Amino acid sequence: MNLPDQPAADHVLINKPMWTHMELPSRPTDVTKAATGSGSAGRKRAAVSAVRMRRPVSSLSLSSSVKGKLVRAGFQFTTDLQDLNPEHLSAEAGVSQQEALEALQAASSGHGVAPVTALELLQKEEEFRSIVTFCSQLDEALGGGVPVGKVTEICGAPGVGKTQLCLQLAVDVQVPAVFGGLGGQVLFVDTEGGFQVQRLVDLAGAAVRHCSLLAEDEEQRVAMTTFTVESILSNIFLVRCRDYVELLAELHLLPGFLSDRPRLRLLVIDSVAFPFLRLHDDLSQRTRLLQSLGLRLIAVATGHNIAVVTTNHMTTRLRGGQAQLAPALGDVWGHAPSIRLLLRWEESRRLASILKSPGHMDASVQYQITCQGFRDADQSERPQSKRPRTQTDQSASSRKNTGM
Amino acid sequence: MVVLLAGMCPGLDEDLLRSLRAADIRTVEDLVSSDIEDLAQKCSVSYKALFAIRRVLLAQHTAFPVSGADLYEELLSSTAILSTGNPSLDKLLDSGLYTGEITELTGGPGSGKSQVCFGVAVHIAYRLKQSVIYIDTTGGLTASRLLQMLQTETNNADEQMEALQRIHTFRLFDVCALLDCLYGLGGGGLHKVCVGGGGSVKALIVDSVSAVIAPLLGGKQNEGMSLMMEVAAALKTMAKDFSVAVLVTNHVTRSGSGEAQPGLGVSWSHVPRTRILLERVESAASGRRSATLIKSSRQACLIKEDFDLQWWSRAEGGRGGGGETSGKRKLDETDP
Repeated sequence: MNLPDQPAADHVLINKPMWTHMELPSRPTDVTKAATGSGSAGRKRAAVSAVRMRRPVSSLSLSSSVKGKLVRAGFQFTTDLQDLNPEHLSAEAGVSQQEALEALQAASSGHGVAPVTALELLQKEEEFRSIVTFCSQLDEALGGGVPVGKVTEICGAPGVGKTQLCLQLAVDVQVPAVFGGLGGQVLFVDTEGGFQVQRLVDLAGAAVRHCSLLAEDEEQRVAMTTFTVESILSNIFLVRCRDYVELLAELHLLPGFLSDRPRLRLLVIDSVAFPFLRLHDDLSQRTRLLQSLGLRLIAVATGHNIAVVTTNHMTTRLRGGQAQLAPALGDVWGHAPSIRLLLRWEESRRLASILKSPGHMDASVQYQITCQGFRDADQSERPQSKRPRTQTDQSASSRKNTGM
Repeated sequence: MVVLLAGMCPGLDEDLLRSLRAADIRTVEDLVSSDIEDLAQKCSVSYKALFAIRRVLLAQHTAFPVSGADLYEELLSSTAILSTGNPSLDKLLDSGLYTGEITELTGGPGSGKSQVCFGVAVHIAYRLKQSVIYIDTTGGLTASRLLQMLQTETNNADEQMEALQRIHTFRLFDVCALLDCLYGLGGGGLHKVCVGGGGSVKALIVDSVSAVIAPLLGGKQNEGMSLMMEVAAALKTMAKDFSVAVLVTNHVTRSGSGEAQPGLGVSWSHVPRTRILLERVESAASGRRSATLIKSSRQACLIKEDFDLQWWSRAEGGRGGGGETSGKRKLDETDP
């Protein structure tokens, strides 16, 4: 390859390639170092140290009219806005003083947050425990339970036990830390009216009895004095939302609510599908609302270290001529939760399947719902049902669930 | 449009600037495209001085043509191909992710996009010993899963920690934060990341770019498209200038006939150079996914490859697939 004489190619990137033959008449004295005859190497070296992305003004978070005025006045990059004072800028661009000040602030700040290495992330994750479900098989499949800091979705046909699992989690998150729980509070957003206090009392009583059987040393006995049915009920904050506007408004108010209650560790939304299923005249608006809802829930979960649990209905999807049950709200909502659990009946067994999880494989486990709540499936082959079990069976299953 | 500033070139001082502004010449374009004789009379400046200034400004601000040979040499010296760690995917991508380009993974929920991103990050951090920047907008980044994948590569805890330290993560949930982050990296942040040790940054993974942009599109908002294109421009500039491979993920929408199409519309479809669609394989072992190449400038489109998500968790020696895996645990229903 016959190339014009160039210095040896050091493997660097250049914004402007080198060219050695310039047809320009006598130019005034050296303007910039990059253009002088110190040769292409000089230009290269100067260019390399200057490889910095310039940020266009149109990418700043200002109102579009202000951005338009700035660009029309010739300020295309944030580097053009440096070393200007607000009066000068407002005179040049025709914007008000306040807008000029905001523009200058946006241009000089905003270099983003510092990165967190994966090692530090791992250490942070190991600090936070998961919320157990009292069904040890499901907890094992999920790697300890419902994780804190992620959005988990529970979907299933009506009557399969989604609200039961939510109530169980609301009790389980309050188990004191000495027993391996989180000792946190709960915000329960109920959109369907499925919240039953009586059932919650049953679950709370069972959990208290279970923990008192486990209490071995002094610390655990002291913790048991504060872990009673009354305290469990008082740590659950219930909000009833009747439509999607109230739901979105509640989520807008959430950051303020959370800053007052640093012990809150669980947010349950039962169910997220119900308010949106009625919005079928404007599907594109529904899509946008769901996407921004999902983003907000993820931001709350990661920012405040809260486990967010939502429930979803099932809908029929036609695929290749066959009708299948799929979670409602479509793929739009499907991207929001990080973990998806599907509860279903198979003949007479209840199965919980993990449809989607970043850290665990898809698996199916069997569970049952007793009058004490969500529990492991019984080992015998007896068909399971919702009717309460006899006294002997209850003590047998509670002894099986040793430890969490 | 570059504003005329004093000191931009010799001869352009404050007085001249003022008289030019009075003649409504504010930017370089205005000066270069105006009539010099006319302007010299209006501003009472010598024609020769204005002509010289114009030549200098033209020299500074024109785009230079590049010969094909120079381009080829630059390509040879600056492009690298990074393997994804999974041979089936590498086959689709023509041996891996190319630096200087944007590659897109698209798929429905649970189709494995995040898992592929984790696998790529772990492979580059551990095998190729380069740094990776991972921008997470879905909240799905689980460091314990990264550790699981590393544990099947090596048993040495120090090496695992070292590899984890080479993966730098950001968690952002809106588009302005994403732009701030990208320009922050471009304006010197990348250099700081490299200085911290662990090789230069060779890959930038954004999972997912549609989660922050899709809520802005459509409806009465008119900023969505422009912000989407700003993100595209930032990613492309970063890929080219810093010689990194950019991997982004996207969601799918259903077309009229029920087929899966990549999201974010036709405008975004021009941004990535290569696009792969991931789908679950029905009635197969749980880890299997199928990848289809839907856009590529190097290979025939619509090549399909089946691969196993458990590839990145396989034990050394390639005992992959259905059998025992040391990575993700598989639970049987008959477990006691």
